[in-house]
Amino acid sequence: MTESLVGLGIMLVLAFLRLPIALSMGVVGVIGYAYMRDWSWASAFAMAQTKVYETGRNYALTVVPLFILMGNLVTRAGMSQELFRTAYAFIGRLRGGLAMATIVGCAGFGAICGSSIATAATFAKVAYPSMKKFGYSDQLSTGAIAAGGTLGILIPPSTIMVIYGIMTGTSIGKLFAAGVLPGILATVLLCLAVQYVTWRDPSAGPRGEPMTWKERFATLQGFGWFAAVGVAVVGAANFGWLEADDAAVLGALAVFGLSLIYKGVTSVIALFVLVMGGIYGGVFTAVEGAGVGAFGALVFALARRSLDRKSLYAALVESARTTSMLFMILIGALMFAEFVNITTMPDDLKNFVARLNMSPVMVVAVIMAIYVVLGTAMEELSMILLTVPVFFPLIVHLGVDPIYFGVLIVVVVEIGLISPPVGMNLFVLSTLLPQVPTRTVFRGVMPFVAVDCVRLAILVAFPVISTYLPGLMK
Amino acid sequence: MSHKWERQADAVLGVAASALLFGMMVLTFLDVVGRYLLNRPIRGAFEITELALLVLIFAGLPLVSHADEHVTMDFIDRMLPARAARAWVRVMHALCAAIMFFLAWQVWIKAGRISGYGDTTDVLGIVIGPFVYFMAAMIGLTGLVHVFKTFVPGAAQASQATT
Repeated sequence: MTESLVGLGIMLVLAFLRLPIALSMGVVGVIGYAYMRDWSWASAFAMAQTKVYETGRNYALTVVPLFILMGNLVTRAGMSQELFRTAYAFIGRLRGGLAMATIVGCAGFGAICGSSIATAATFAKVAYPSMKKFGYSDQLSTGAIAAGGTLGILIPPSTIMVIYGIMTGTSIGKLFAAGVLPGILATVLLCLAVQYVTWRDPSAGPRGEPMTWKERFATLQGFGWFAAVGVAVVGAANFGWLEADDAAVLGALAVFGLSLIYKGVTSVIALFVLVMGGIYGGVFTAVEGAGVGAFGALVFALARRSLDRKSLYAALVESARTTSMLFMILIGALMFAEFVNITTMPDDLKNFVARLNMSPVMVVAVIMAIYVVLGTAMEELSMILLTVPVFFPLIVHLGVDPIYFGVLIVVVVEIGLISPPVGMNLFVLSTLLPQVPTRTVFRGVMPFVAVDCVRLAILVAFPVISTYLPGLMK
Repeated sequence: MSHKWERQADAVLGVAASALLFGMMVLTFLDVVGRYLLNRPIRGAFEITELALLVLIFAGLPLVSHADEHVTMDFIDRMLPARAARAWVRVMHALCAAIMFFLAWQVWIKAGRISGYGDTTDVLGIVIGPFVYFMAAMIGLTGLVHVFKTFVPGAAQASQATT
């Protein structure tokens, strides 16, 4: 126990001294490993070599750059504008309607983008000006954008889920499926928070313009065609005219084709259904789904003429850099985990919990409470990377479903991203909207942080919300 | 990015990494289409993708260091006076450089061993050794980037945007 606590302490000090987290973990991992093996440097160095090489040469990890690329392409394709417009057409007329449209739009965007910060950043550009125009308070509009943005990592695809899946060896496809129901729950709860704010102060979120049903449905152009493709794919597979795999791939090509004609929201929904449905139904592996999704996003972006050579290059090189950065962290985390695993820490933690005589749900609840508190002050990605190697063996030992735990991890990261004083989404908004004082952003997000905590409690208490869909997978 | 050669080096790696990523995307898509529709998977697509990923990760590494995109905790920046914080960042770059050179050395040893065995991929028989030497070289180059950042003041600090 002592060795790993000392190791953890040294790593935190190194990280605090501004050494990159990846290197802090790696250095402590290698030196700690040598110490545990009676200062056998040869075995520690061999461990380091193996971790670098095996992490670099791992086909399953191809899913990382491809999903990141998909997110970077859709961010540049202007889809957020369309999502917001459709959501606005349907619910903009309600009290606080634009704020709710922002949240629903974010949920839709989250379905094709795996990053919370990217989602918040695009909606700051798209939704904030509209809300400003209708006289929304800065508190409500920035709060809704910051909180809505976090849906990007809960609704699949999700960078955090990919990282968690890789670190713990949990199926990424199942994690994605697990995010769907909690994502819907989150969207509903965030909209309720908007209702609460506008109930307290109706002037914070006035109603938008009235629209006829005809105008509303006009934003869903091409829906019939996409639906027809969907029915054809499912029908052909069900009646055995085509293999499920062939039907899915033909469906993909049809969706790509249609999206060249119909550039509305429906093509976004179609891309999501295609990629996630394909992974969920076992037609695509996660890597294949990511490849098809990234290619689809490229087709969409080209169809919208929103992608010139320069922004395509920017999307690619940014994805490449993010990939390298994540892999360094992963390598560091794996080295650190290797050290922790040969100490007595995992066993000691288990014994400690056994002595406390707590039920597994209580243990999970305590861990989550720790995360929420840590998340207010720590950068969330580092928080997860530092702690998951320590907590995960305990969780498995207690018989807690790793997928359920993974969803909860994502939710605490979401809360951390919007909880002051240190929350990346809040910083992004302050940077993009310099006219709004940071204090206003902090105050505006509080109702949303509160409902997020309620959501966390609901998800801890009812694991079935997270485990139902992945349980149905093959 | 102040120097011309610095911009050029960044662009060379950037274009290479972008082209690889683009290629991986197209290859994965064509492989899916080919396998399911035409019953003709691309031979060795799996191996090419795997090695492309390896090259992509390590070609991108110097770019990450150059753009200061490694995830770091920046509490200390706010605690120290601005000048001291800048000086401290340079000390840390020196430490990063040392760690990167160490890793490069270790991976170089690994590369030697793999080349010694003459390891190749299963289907296409691609020799793996050179790829591992490439890994080592790129980690070494990343070390050089950190050396550069140690001695050349005023290197830009970008914020990271991943989560």
